[in-house]
Amino acid sequence: MSAAAWARRYGALMRNAWMVDLQYRAAILLWVLWGLAEPAIALGIWWTIAGPAEVGGYDQAAFARYFFGVMLVNQLTIAWDSWYLDRWIRAGELNFRLARPLHPAHEAVADNIAYKVRTGSLMLVVWLFVALAWPAARLPFDPAHWALGAVAVLLAAAMRFCISFTTGLLAFWTTRATAIMELHSGISLFLAGRIAPLALLPPPVGALAGILWFRSTLAFPVDLLTGSVSGTGPLLRGFAGQIVWLALWILACRLVWRRGIVRYGAVGG
Amino acid sequence: MPAAIVAEQLSKTFRVKVRGAGLRAALGALVHPRYRDVHAVREASFAIEPGEIVGFLGPNGAGKTTILKMLSGLLYPSGGRVRVAGFEPWTGGAAFKRRITLVLGNRQQLIWDLPPEETFRLNRAIYDVPEPEYPERLAELVGLLDLAPLLDKPVRQLSLGERMKCELCAALLHRPSILFLDEPTLGLDVSAQDAIRRFILEYRERYGATILLTSHYMQDMTTLASRVLMINRGRLLYDGALDALVARTVRTRRLELVLGPGVSAESLAAFGTLRSYRPPHAILEVPREEAAASSARLLASLPVADLSIADPPIDEVIRHAFAEGAEPEEDGG
Repeated sequence: MSAAAWARRYGALMRNAWMVDLQYRAAILLWVLWGLAEPAIALGIWWTIAGPAEVGGYDQAAFARYFFGVMLVNQLTIAWDSWYLDRWIRAGELNFRLARPLHPAHEAVADNIAYKVRTGSLMLVVWLFVALAWPAARLPFDPAHWALGAVAVLLAAAMRFCISFTTGLLAFWTTRATAIMELHSGISLFLAGRIAPLALLPPPVGALAGILWFRSTLAFPVDLLTGSVSGTGPLLRGFAGQIVWLALWILACRLVWRRGIVRYGAVGG
Repeated sequence: MPAAIVAEQLSKTFRVKVRGAGLRAALGALVHPRYRDVHAVREASFAIEPGEIVGFLGPNGAGKTTILKMLSGLLYPSGGRVRVAGFEPWTGGAAFKRRITLVLGNRQQLIWDLPPEETFRLNRAIYDVPEPEYPERLAELVGLLDLAPLLDKPVRQLSLGERMKCELCAALLHRPSILFLDEPTLGLDVSAQDAIRRFILEYRERYGATILLTSHYMQDMTTLASRVLMINRGRLLYDGALDALVARTVRTRRLELVLGPGVSAESLAAFGTLRSYRPPHAILEVPREEAAASSARLLASLPVADLSIADPPIDEVIRHAFAEGAEPEEDGG
């Protein structure tokens, strides 16, 4: 199949995703508010704790940069696929998708791109207004660093998609695949750096976050954009972690899909 | 020409967890989970020629839909071999899926919040329908299914029958040569059922498509299917023409009478089993091979204004056939 045919497919899938979004404008507004609220609350707490001093090397301005970075990167990398997959599998909505000459993962990828363009762009506008009004929230401007940051965000988005998709596929075996994703989300609140920069975690916990995939999914791209990570060694280690974990999650996703589809009961008509 | 669909010894067994009622049973299932095998399809073999319309007959849970899902590549069989349009369905990939379509009466692909035309456009891209051909194909299906007034309404505002017509349009834009239709008339009113049936026949006429359908409505079978596969508890009980099934299963025929004045129930009972007596109407059942002779005697002996010979209602025939073909429940442990 030609590149033009793939572009038409992705274009049609994303177009439909946006048109469905337009039917749920209030829900989108609520999700944007939620995307703002979590880092804003965390920032408020650390802002108060830091006061005029520093905590773990972070002053109030550094916390502001970090959490506005979290707000932006989280929206650009978040993936809801485990909830969709769980419904597709358990309610039989996977059936017609399997009968089409397009792997269901493509629909999920197109949905993710559509979601991120829509919500990420709203967040970007919010962040630009905040950065204009509040110099402390501005990220250091360095085109090379931002280009690397974009690559790190892309890798993190791909990894979070694979994690969510793979977890959703567990619905082939269990009726509680989303509960596993909730657990992952709860752990990532701490280990991915959503609630606090990893440098503030107890050293063993911070080290665990670095060894596992959590840092690669959020904290590393945020640290890169805020300038907390620089120098060839840390950058290489950060990207190597992202690439290795992404490769492992892709493998896991393919393995779970192959095993699960053989087991599939195609329930519900 | 090779058969469009060949199934040999096709089987599907599901392993299901067994759990009793109550808290103790629930806790026990955590420690010692027990399973049993449910044989949804057992060694079914059949071949379907290109252009045939074949109906699957069977009660709920008989295995009809499981067979359709295996033939369309959704389910992996536990045993046996299948070829559909020359492909093994679950390894046929995109080339196979372009040749078939699967319509599930109770699980639809239409995008709920958008007008049906958006699903059509999506399928045009997914199936890579050539740009110059798309408007022509869409216009043809819109005309045949009378969809023009529905194209700009959100799917959620359409009636069940309107949604099924749009579903068929979405499923056929890529002009598949093999159609798997699972309960295509489910829940529709009589005129909507009739419209769907006429469309299915027209599609087969135009494109020579092979069609397999399941339905609980006997009218679907009598109107559409030149051949039926009767299945119960996963086993194929009959493969052949519906008429032949009726002749094989039913050993009697019905004499439907319009009586003249003064014909009593007792006098009719001498000619056969009286099934209904509501003067001036009455229904007599007689042995199949004696139907003609009994009719002649009846007309000669009693004042009968009108007489017609008919088979029992098809639903009754099928119930009878299932009762004859029924077998004890057989589930593995």
